[in-house]
Amino acid sequence: MRHALSGLNAWLVQRLSAVYSLLFIVYLSLHFLLEPPGSYEQWQQWMRQPLVSTASLIFFGALSLHMWVGLRDVVLDYVHSPGLRVCLLASVAIGLAAMAAWTARILLG
Amino acid sequence: MRLSIFRFDPDRDRKPYMQDYELVPEPSERMLLDVLVRLKTVDDSLTFRRSCREGVCGSDAMNINGRNGLACITPVSGLKEPVELRPLPSFPVIRDLVVDMSQFFKQYHSIRPYLINDEPEPDKERVQSPEERAQLDGLYECILCACCTSQCPSSWWNPEKFVGPAGLLQAYRFIVDSRDRAGAQRLDDLNDPFRLFRCRTIMNCTEVCPRGLSPSRAIEKIRLMMVKASL
Repeated sequence: MRHALSGLNAWLVQRLSAVYSLLFIVYLSLHFLLEPPGSYEQWQQWMRQPLVSTASLIFFGALSLHMWVGLRDVVLDYVHSPGLRVCLLASVAIGLAAMAAWTARILLG
Repeated sequence: MRLSIFRFDPDRDRKPYMQDYELVPEPSERMLLDVLVRLKTVDDSLTFRRSCREGVCGSDAMNINGRNGLACITPVSGLKEPVELRPLPSFPVIRDLVVDMSQFFKQYHSIRPYLINDEPEPDKERVQSPEERAQLDGLYECILCACCTSQCPSSWWNPEKFVGPAGLLQAYRFIVDSRDRAGAQRLDDLNDPFRLFRCRTIMNCTEVCPRGLSPSRAIEKIRLMMVKASL
């Protein structure tokens, strides 16, 4: 890649993360509609199942990547000063990475 | 018929302004360009480009009631009055409805709009099958009027870096040409965050193209070709 930021890779990540997120949200909605958990304990138990927690972890990962590409696009579109652009991109990356790490800690903890 | 036309003469005016005109179109004056040509006989300071007057040269592209189009193929009858005429949005104005197209053509030239083929020349010509030729339909008809690029928000924000819908339609036209041998280089040249991927699929380009072409479809096809090439 000749550039620090990619074109095709970012676009692919955006599309694939969108598809996964959509499928996961449909699955989540159907679950809560058809088998709503009766109590907090039941809900926690359901979330602890390896398949559900892994799928949730992937969902939040996909969501973070999707937000990164989207916010990166906004910055690339509207912010033209190189210094300010780098600062904003770094802030977005750090913020999203922190949120993703925190989410992973909650899900795995 | 009432018209409100953008006026700006850099030698005389400090700021652009809208000038109102009123005239009764003759029965023969069916297109907007016919009306403009007559207006010029009344006010010869009014400046606009025109040439073929039948939608082939692309000279008289302008913003008509908020939407880009060619004055020569825009019927007067369907227009809401006063008809507001402005130069192509986001392009630098030279005078009145005449804009500077340098940046537009710079982007067009950047995609190398010619066949690249270093193989030895055949005796007569590089033959194409009817199917291969059909690949160019919907692409070769572009007249480079700039209606699409001037109406594209991604081109407004990054005109120096984003090739724009017209240039990308032309890029695809050469990528799919069976006689061209630089497809891989052409795809590689577009794979950065700006040249192709600033496109947000807003589709204003396809919406306004006076020739009914679809730059957004061409852009989508380039993306899919890139995906295939990267696998």
